[in-house]
Amino acid sequence: MSIFAILLGLAFGGWLMAALEGWAVHGRFSLVRPLASALALLGREAVVTRKSDRLFFETAPILLLVAGLLAAAVIPLAPGLIVADLATGALFLNAALAYVLVALIMAGWGPDGAYAMIGGWRFLGQFIGYSMLIVMPITAVAMRAQSLSTTQIVTSQAALWNVAYQPLGFALFVVAAMALAWLPPFDLPSGTGDLAGGIEAEYTGPRLAVLRLARMVVVLALAGAVSTFYLGGWLGPWLPGWAWSGGKTLAVAALMLTLGRHIPRMREARFLEFCWKAGVPLALVNIFLVGVIALVVPI
Amino acid sequence: MSIELAIALSVGAGLFGVGLYGALSQTNLVMILMGVELILAAALVNLVAFWRYLHPDVMAGQMFVLIVMTVMAVEMAVGFGIAIVRFRSRGSVEMEEARELKG
Amino acid sequence: MSVSIGQSLFLIFFGAAAVWFGVVVFRTHSMVRSAIALLFSQTAVGAMFLVMQAEFLGVLQIMMMASEMSVMAIFMVMFMMDPGGLGAMDMTHQKRLSLWAGGIGLTFALAVIWLTGWGPAAQAAPAAAEQTAALGRELLGRSMFVFESAGLTILTAMVAATMVAIAPTEEHGR
Repeated sequence: MSIFAILLGLAFGGWLMAALEGWAVHGRFSLVRPLASALALLGREAVVTRKSDRLFFETAPILLLVAGLLAAAVIPLAPGLIVADLATGALFLNAALAYVLVALIMAGWGPDGAYAMIGGWRFLGQFIGYSMLIVMPITAVAMRAQSLSTTQIVTSQAALWNVAYQPLGFALFVVAAMALAWLPPFDLPSGTGDLAGGIEAEYTGPRLAVLRLARMVVVLALAGAVSTFYLGGWLGPWLPGWAWSGGKTLAVAALMLTLGRHIPRMREARFLEFCWKAGVPLALVNIFLVGVIALVVPI
Repeated sequence: MSIELAIALSVGAGLFGVGLYGALSQTNLVMILMGVELILAAALVNLVAFWRYLHPDVMAGQMFVLIVMTVMAVEMAVGFGIAIVRFRSRGSVEMEEARELKG
Repeated sequence: MSVSIGQSLFLIFFGAAAVWFGVVVFRTHSMVRSAIALLFSQTAVGAMFLVMQAEFLGVLQIMMMASEMSVMAIFMVMFMMDPGGLGAMDMTHQKRLSLWAGGIGLTFALAVIWLTGWGPAAQAAPAAAEQTAALGRELLGRSMFVFESAGLTILTAMVAATMVAIAPTEEHGR
């Protein structure tokens, strides 16, 4: 039951986000266009490059989709409306999203193309930067909730949302989430303009459709994680819970998709420097502050 | 005797055998590290199996698993540090060419 | 004798997957495939932890190995002469000795496992949420010293590996 609800929500959200991304990129808002281009992709010829690592080439988009779906499985839309309410949900989200990296490396190595391979390895460099900034803010969130379960993390924010309780962690987590979903300005692996599509360069037809869909699922799962961890999930007055969490997720996803388009792309060396020289110390300060507040003020 | 424990330990033995073969037979430093990783994975399986089927109430068993995971990470970091230096000075990490390390 | 059929079957399945991917690591010629096979072997080990109701450790193993093995993959590509494996070159030595060593180790371990009386098996493990909380208390309580020294070891290894690996430059080096 809740599996279908979540899948339906993901499909609807993905469609809306694709329309929105089209608006941000091409300047025209059309609800039909994503469907039309998806159908066109399905009908197009699927080219396989010469001497490709066929196993990786075929598996990578599917692995990316599975990683996104597994991450979405631990995000609660409403009390009870969750696919798997694990006791270690917040960690499971991390584990599922770690396979985005594996999928991108496979997608980069598989097709035997220079651009794709550079894109895949670039994402590994990016990963070294953002991975700590995904884990450490979640640690602070779990410290406040005294639990790794995502539903308990939401209920722990009944008095005050985490975005006000630990704004530092929120900012770091959103930056890291945008890097994880390789959204601009961190879109190094697929950088249009300098890598000709990067990891997407050699994918055509149905495989490209799966890859794009999977990327959208990852974005939505991350937006769901932001709304669960920092924006109080289903908490909110008047409207039913699923409307609140769904609305928050879509709003966060829309912001993540559009915000960075006006910033120049960040080289992964700079990103690495920022993450390890500024991000990690700030995340440690965040953990320390949350610990002190949790001990002193019972909210 | 619990059959699940024996199964889990046998998997550990299998991983250990494969890892030992790999660590001894490969000529490349990175591949040798892979063999060592497999041996440590075997240790992990055994530790979790012992915790689950013999002493599920003693959390020190799970703590040992975390320590072994630490050892895996440290082994990788130091191994790759050495590999980088070796590659920079000699141009390869083939262990057959590392005769001068023989005392 | 306590036999839970489902648990045993899943253990056999994931265990076989772990060992099989472990064999693939040393049989394939493509180095990236080799690293990814090791990743899937470790993931299967993590799945075995989940079957054995150690939820936290299983998820942690699955998460850590994804990043560790991806880093492994790029080192393979950097340091191997033939990372794509198109040349199908042989990179083994003392093969017979290694096979014997691995085989003897395996047989010995199997004999010990199946000939020892392990005593009665514990029936139930604590629930996952209690387990995680209890593990946290253990780490920051009784075993704090061990845990902290593990953390310190990692820090030392990070600093040492970085120091060793930094390229010597004109002003400070050689």
